[in-house]
Amino acid sequence: MNHFLEEELVIGSKLKVALAMVIVLMSGLAVTGCKNQNKPDNLQRQALEKHENKRYNLRGQVVAKNVAANQITVNHDDIPGFMAAMTMPYKVKDPATLQEVKPGDKIAAEVVVVNDGSDYWLEDVRITESSGRKSAGAVPAVHRLNVGERVPSLPLVNQDGRTIHLDDFKGKAVLVTFIYTRCPLPNFCPRLSSQFAKIHDDLAKTPDDYRKTHLLTITFDPKYDTAPVLRKYALAYLDDDPSGFGYWDFAFTTPGGLRKLADAFGLMYFEQDNQISHTMNIALIAPDGTVAKYWSQEWTTSELEDALRRQAGTAAAAAPARASRGRTP
Amino acid sequence: MTRLPRIACIALWVAALAMPMACSHQPYLSEDEMQGRALFEDHCAPCHQGAHPDLRKQPPKLEGLFQSKSLPSGAPATDAQVRKTIIEGRGTMPAFDQRLSGEDVDDLVKYLHTLK
Repeated sequence: MNHFLEEELVIGSKLKVALAMVIVLMSGLAVTGCKNQNKPDNLQRQALEKHENKRYNLRGQVVAKNVAANQITVNHDDIPGFMAAMTMPYKVKDPATLQEVKPGDKIAAEVVVVNDGSDYWLEDVRITESSGRKSAGAVPAVHRLNVGERVPSLPLVNQDGRTIHLDDFKGKAVLVTFIYTRCPLPNFCPRLSSQFAKIHDDLAKTPDDYRKTHLLTITFDPKYDTAPVLRKYALAYLDDDPSGFGYWDFAFTTPGGLRKLADAFGLMYFEQDNQISHTMNIALIAPDGTVAKYWSQEWTTSELEDALRRQAGTAAAAAPARASRGRTP
Repeated sequence: MTRLPRIACIALWVAALAMPMACSHQPYLSEDEMQGRALFEDHCAPCHQGAHPDLRKQPPKLEGLFQSKSLPSGAPATDAQVRKTIIEGRGTMPAFDQRLSGEDVDDLVKYLHTLK
């Protein structure tokens, strides 16, 4: 190897090292520069997300108020980023609000949602259009059955296309709720059906309670939720095991029948843009066919299950339940 | 040594190219995709983002939906299959039949393609 070539190689090697250093340095700068540019924003955003509640503007009409629970039920417009238009109850931060607003009033307010979504309430409630006597009168009054009153035995059609009545379940404790299969809000119908599915699974492990109880899910959407639609929906919550239908019915009724049932259980609902706005309610029916308890504000799955089992315990051991006969998987 | 500045320039050029790539977080969205994103936030995000311990089945995250060959359900990850799932529902996922127009579903699918 001659001296010239050796020097050329050394220079070439130095150049490569220099090039590598420059690339590493510049890449480092690129990444570091990028991080430095975004880091304060990220930290600030994370800090805000962690410590601050989210706030959304709500506009809607008060359909009911519950002073004892410090709540108003509002039929509200879309709340972008939080919830589609619907009717639902909200706690209010300032109890004085309940003295001011009346059913029928149009309001604007801020929905405050805690960061993990575990709680929400209304603040800064302003009446934008007072109902006056005329509007207040336009809000339909709902007469909910009192505890101890007998439930109406209207005809329903279940997921198999068979007609059933609430009377069919006499002798059993029955948990009834209302959903619609296209409900897209996880804290509403999907949550209710999931809770019922968990209760069903648990009951199936204790045959004595299983045969003394029944679950009934009624749709708010009889136009869309036909028997095959309900069956498909139901099977998703029964892990595709139709034997569960012996203990859990999914049913629809006529629009008129639905209105009567919804009134009986104290539910409000209406259809808007192919979506159904509704309140939520779960009723426990005693084995004698009377209302034993309602849940319409807050409940847990275990609370529902415990109450259902306790109610089943009040059933006479020998009391036959018509619904359990002839219902093969 | 006369070649060093030229090579340094090339290195600087490479680094300059790398910088915006390293800093870009959001891909550019077309008008349809922007529309799809708004629909996604209204109709999909409530279930598919965040945790829902009360639900029977946890809705899958949709990032990278079209990056794999199959959907979380096992069905092929095609536009047609995703459209069918949105319209008809699947398992505990509700159907969006009659609630989203054909154009809405197109926009939604376009936006889902951008989720990496």
